[in-house]
Amino acid sequence: MTQFSLPNRWKLPDLGLGVGLRTQHFRHITERWPAMDWFEILSENFIDTEGRPLYFLDQIAERYPIVMHGVCLSIGSTDPVDFEFLDKLAALAKRVNAVWLGDHICWTGVAGLNGHDLYPVPYTEEGLRHMVSRVRIIQDYLERPLVLENPSTYLTFASSSMPEEEFIARLAVEAKCALLLDVNNVYVTCRNHDLDPVAYLDAMPYEHVVQVHLAGHTDNGTHCIDTHDGRVIDEVWKLYARVHEKTGGRATLLEWDANVPKFSVLQQEVGKAARFRNGAKAERRVAA
Amino acid sequence: MSLRDTARLETVERWMQAVVMHPDGAESGVRSKPARRLLPQAAASLESVVLPSKSLTSIERIGIYAHMYYARLLEILVAEYPTTQQVLGEKAFERACRQFLERNPSKHRTLNHLSVRFPDFLSRHLPPGNRSKLAVDVARIERALEDVFDAARAEPLTAAEFASISADQWHRVRLRLIPALQLLKLRFPANAYMNAARGGGKPHMPRPRATFAIVYRRGFQVFRRDQAPEQFKLLAALARGQTLAQAVRSSVSGRSGNADRLAATLGAWFREWAAAGIFCGIK
Repeated sequence: MTQFSLPNRWKLPDLGLGVGLRTQHFRHITERWPAMDWFEILSENFIDTEGRPLYFLDQIAERYPIVMHGVCLSIGSTDPVDFEFLDKLAALAKRVNAVWLGDHICWTGVAGLNGHDLYPVPYTEEGLRHMVSRVRIIQDYLERPLVLENPSTYLTFASSSMPEEEFIARLAVEAKCALLLDVNNVYVTCRNHDLDPVAYLDAMPYEHVVQVHLAGHTDNGTHCIDTHDGRVIDEVWKLYARVHEKTGGRATLLEWDANVPKFSVLQQEVGKAARFRNGAKAERRVAA
Repeated sequence: MSLRDTARLETVERWMQAVVMHPDGAESGVRSKPARRLLPQAAASLESVVLPSKSLTSIERIGIYAHMYYARLLEILVAEYPTTQQVLGEKAFERACRQFLERNPSKHRTLNHLSVRFPDFLSRHLPPGNRSKLAVDVARIERALEDVFDAARAEPLTAAEFASISADQWHRVRLRLIPALQLLKLRFPANAYMNAARGGGKPHMPRPRATFAIVYRRGFQVFRRDQAPEQFKLLAALARGQTLAQAVRSSVSGRSGNADRLAATLGAWFREWAAAGIFCGIK
């Protein structure tokens, strides 16, 4: 069992093991208040609505720590920063007392449009300067560090002048932002780009990493797609173990967004992370 | 154009967006005029912009994003308009969705607004005929279900608050309707059709007949209900801000029968609406 612990530079807490909050489980959670250390919400699902999702979220936020994770901040876009959207994020963060909030290292649209997908930027000095500047502006406006996630990517721009892991590491250091290290995305990206995931992980600045994502993906043979529709594969667990060795423990979250199973299955799957975190042979038993 | 120019971020982003949003797929996207204007060398040699991997060509790699763009948004439209899809059939519905997305790409950060204009789009672009008209009616109800689901909260008037309106006040009060309420004037019995379709049936094409429906949220559940024409008129008048007396006059003035019967009818309507929680204020 490792006693090593590398604190992140913001001293943000290790929240333990959490899962993504999904509508299918609202009723189960608010009726049974199941064992779970924390929940991550998809920020956009609770913005521009005053209906049922917010009703359940308000109750859940009273009992569990909430982390906000978005998909539309479009950090890499060359469109102007959308301060109105930042205001909405800030209001939601205040409402649910979010421990932190973040998004992805990507862009989602340009010229006023939105593709609702996580598109990669060319990993160039120009791209890096642009993104560092945007992250700084947003962090200053929100007055808190952004927690940014490495995306799953499916193409490489010929103009890229540095590997993705170097781009991300430099972004974190130069923009002074936090990182959400999605080890499933590392696996998917490295499979898609013929890269070594261990070398990728070893290039991360771990004092910036405050959260880890785990998820399942679809392996199409020629490439992998980040589908979040199943259990975490063994290779990804091995990568998670390596991250744990580097950090000594980070808030860990299981994403499961398609073919969403019963809540007890999520508890069981994320509970597997306990064996790496605690050095215990047994997985954490969590009440259904 | 030099490699340095190719690397310009905005150009690359606009180019990639033009390619992945092209309705005929990535290959057509790369060859399209907007994409060629941005990065002409990509049409000649895509590898100069997107590298191949060991397993996939450059076009296959960017094609993953192009495929996911339409697949994801179509999935959302199918989830929001299941009965519209049933009315039109899967192929015609997908064709309409693709045309809609091509002409109305998302401009919002959340997906709640993606299909706000979809019913109007269908009314303008579907071929003439009763099936198309029914599809538009059903789409309007399904859109209203989405809007009402997300609409602002408002505390409905309680029975005690209703009772506090004295008899001499009734004629001049204005009742405020909750934001989570929509009034729909339809050309077909579309709500009844939806009941049958969503109940697992395969309802026959109904005959055209003007119907009136309300879609509203009570608590956090969304409901839809048919209304009699006069009920609908009365609610529409209240929604326009008319006093109760004005609204009653404009909706039931032509009704025959005695005053007691009319009062009983109105009483029943208001009890039904109050139970549904569609009023949230008295002015």
